[in-house]
This record gives sequence, C-alpha cells and structure tokens, in this order.
Amino acid sequence: MTKKTQEELERWQKEVKRGAVTLAILSLLNKKRAYGYEAVKLLDERTSFLALEQGTVYPLLRRLEKRELLESQWDYEDPTKPKKYYAVTEQGRAALKEMSGTWSTLSREMERIILEDEIE
Amino acid sequence: MSTSDPYELIEQYLERVKVYLPYGTEEETLAELRTHLLEEAERIGNGRISAGSAMMAIERLGDPKAVANEYAGSGEKVGPLPTEYVEPVFRILLILTGISLAFIVGAVIVGFGFATLLGETAFIIENPLAIALMIAVNLIIVFAIIGGLSLLDRNKPMTEKTTMESILGVGSDSLKPKPRTDAIGDLVMSSVFIVVLLHPAIQALYTTSFSAVLWMVIVFLALSAVKGALFTYGGENNFNLVFEAGTGFLWVLFAMVLVNVGWPTIGFYAYSEGVWEVFTLAGLDALAGLPISSVFTYVWIFIIFVIVVSNIWRIIAAAMKVPIYMQEGKGLWWKGSWGDHSIKRRPLWKRLFKPSESSQEPTARSDGYEESDT
Repeated sequence: MTKKTQEELERWQKEVKRGAVTLAILSLLNKKRAYGYEAVKLLDERTSFLALEQGTVYPLLRRLEKRELLESQWDYEDPTKPKKYYAVTEQGRAALKEMSGTWSTLSREMERIILEDEIE
Repeated sequence: MSTSDPYELIEQYLERVKVYLPYGTEEETLAELRTHLLEEAERIGNGRISAGSAMMAIERLGDPKAVANEYAGSGEKVGPLPTEYVEPVFRILLILTGISLAFIVGAVIVGFGFATLLGETAFIIENPLAIALMIAVNLIIVFAIIGGLSLLDRNKPMTEKTTMESILGVGSDSLKPKPRTDAIGDLVMSSVFIVVLLHPAIQALYTTSFSAVLWMVIVFLALSAVKGALFTYGGENNFNLVFEAGTGFLWVLFAMVLVNVGWPTIGFYAYSEGVWEVFTLAGLDALAGLPISSVFTYVWIFIIFVIVVSNIWRIIAAAMKVPIYMQEGKGLWWKGSWGDHSIKRRPLWKRLFKPSESSQEPTARSDGYEESDT
C-alpha cells in the first residue's frame, strides 16, 4: 500500500469510526449500565476496528450525556475509586432504535454495492 | 521517573491533565480518570498496583494534553508556541493586555484630576509611559521564559509536570474555594490595618495626598473585612462571590487613584537616643546623596499592581463560578464550601503511611485478563 493510500484509508477509517462508535456505546450500555472503565473494556473486548484510545472514550460518554442520550450516577461505595455509571435514557433508546435501523440499511446497501462492484 | 510510588505517578499525571481541562469539569473528570487508571493498573498488575503497571496504564490512557483536549473539544492547535499552550497563554495575555490598557488609561485620567485637585504633579503624569514600559518589558521577558522552558521541558516523562504546566496550573488552583483560614485572615488583617492607619502617630507621617484619601482607604479596608466575615460564615456562594467581585472592581478603580497618590508617608519612625523621631525620606536622600526615596515610589507601584492583579483575578473567578452555580440551580445564598478537600483522592493516611502499596491483595476481575507488567 502506498503512503497516500494509507493516509486516505486512515482518514476514511476515522470518519467511519466517529459515527459507529456512538452506536456501539449506546448499544452496549442499553444492555447493561456500566461505569467508564467497564465501557472501555466492553468496547475493547467486542470490537477491533472500533477500539479507541482509552482516553477518548470518556469524553465521548460525557458528550452523549450532555446530549441527554445517556444519564449518569456516581457510586461512592469504594471512596478511593468512585465510579460514574452510565445508562441509556429514554431519548437514547429512541435514538438507538433509529440509528440501528439506519445502520442495517446502510450495511445492507453497502454490501450490495460492494458485491456488484466485485462481480463486475 | 520522578517517583516510584504508583499512586503518586497517577496523581502527577492527573495534575498534568488538569492544567488543560476546562474550568468546572476538573473534579468529576479527574475522579473518573483516577478510577480508570487505578483499575487499569490493577488489571495489568494482576490485582497489584506497581510503578510499572501504573506507568503502563498512564501510557495507554494517552497524552495528558490530548486527553484533556478531547474533553475540551478543542482538538489540536497551531501557533507560534507549542500547540498545547496556545489557548491558555493567549487567554492570559489577552486578559492582561486588556487590564493593563484599561488601568493605564484610567490612571492617567484620574492622575489629571488628582493633580489639579491637590495642586501637585501626580507620578503618572510625570511618567506617563512608566507602567506601559514596565508591562512591555515584562511581556518580552515572559515570552523569552516561555520559549526557553518549552525547550527544556520537551524530554520530561509523561507523569512529570512541565514547568510551563506548573505555571499555568497556578490559575486553576487559585480558582478553588477560599480556605476558611484565608477568610479569617482577610477579616483580621483588614481590621488590624484600619486600627493602625487611624492611629494618630501613624497619621502624622502621611503625605498630603494620602491624607486626602485616607478615609476612602478605611472604607475599602472595612469592605474587605466584611468580605472576610461573609466567607468565614458562609463559605463560597453566589452572594459572597458577587460581593467579592464588586469590592474587587471598586478596588481596581480606587487603585487608579492610589497609584497617583504615591508612597503614603513622608518618612518613618526611628529610635534614636531614647526617643522616637521622624526620619524623613528627604533626609534619607540627603544622607545617602542619592534619590533613595524614589525606590519607595516603585515599591508603591508594585503594591498597587498586586492589588489590581489579585482583584481582577477575583472578578474573573466570580464571573466563571457564578454562572456555573446558577446552572446547578443554586440560588444566591447557601452554606458553601471552604478550601479544597477532595474526597475522591486516595485517603491522606494511605498516601502518607502506605506510599508504595504494591502488596495489596489481588483483585478478582470479571474481564478475564491475566496480563502482567513483568
């Protein structure tokens, strides 16, 4: 792969990741609420392409909370390691449903386009 | 590596992140990141935290500036300074330039009035460029220092705060609520100053210019004492912050008068042959054969400078904090907090008596990782 192709690929991957990671986080947290570190690990375990730098997951959680797609609650059971648990809100669930539908359509259509391309 | 205590390494890293975080988000963000680092370090060390596992956890979390920038949403920046310093330095310079210009213009205007009133020539009228020159020279020095420090700081490890960050961090530290002892100090010191300034023996030393504004000084000190009492009783709340910003604003206006008044005494008391005598500054000049008294003029300007900067900072702090408290739905008055006592840190006794707690019991983990840092 040439350097330019590599650069182009990285740019494209970054763009794809940006949207996909929101859907992945919402989907994971919809199954079970989790605190920041847990969310990082859940994402790490289940994805390879979407594995983000750990430091970028927290700001993403914060942004989704700000947009009222997630809600949070502090747990001080262990005062040396307080945990901020994130859960999907009603609004988040509604958004997740729409986003999942869009994602299915997108992947179906993309698959068709790529397959056609390969057949030709 | 500056320390082998893993907890200390984590705290040092978090201190670096804090420098770049937007105000009002630090405590929550740092608590979340601290938990992450502790858990990640435990996982890497199979339930034990060591300096090695802490360093690996830190490296995996990423560069402190990048982590903070993600929170701030600012991304990378380009500028003549190292990119990470552009925003904070520019902000500080902009504020300082604005304050300086406003102060110079104000001081000159007040100086004209004051000189006319007392039939004297005010210092600022005689030396209209003195303050501007001092500011310009200081800014050049600051730029030279920033450049030099940035070069020296480049090879420091991730956990070690750079010198630049230490300087920029001063600002965020001084945004913490006022400790109760400081509030009591404001109350006591202002009251003591009032008593001293009103003492007849001290009043006998005042210059004509200072005598003309003495009662104004007393009123301002009384306001500072009231502010100290309010913070001592109520801690940090919107009423006290607004009161502090209001008195701070009045102090800045009054500083424009004070800088024209010049050094407030004609001399000082000296004990000689069993009696207290007034030793004048003019006499000091004659004795030394040099204009030593002019040194007092510059000392006075420095005192006024400190008054202006500290009060401007209080106004800025109040302007940042009050909207945040309002957003939180807090009203005008409540029993606020004093100082900074974060409960989210590792307890002090542990930090003191178990500095390298690397032999704690392994923690059972649900993620199945069995990674070791050895």
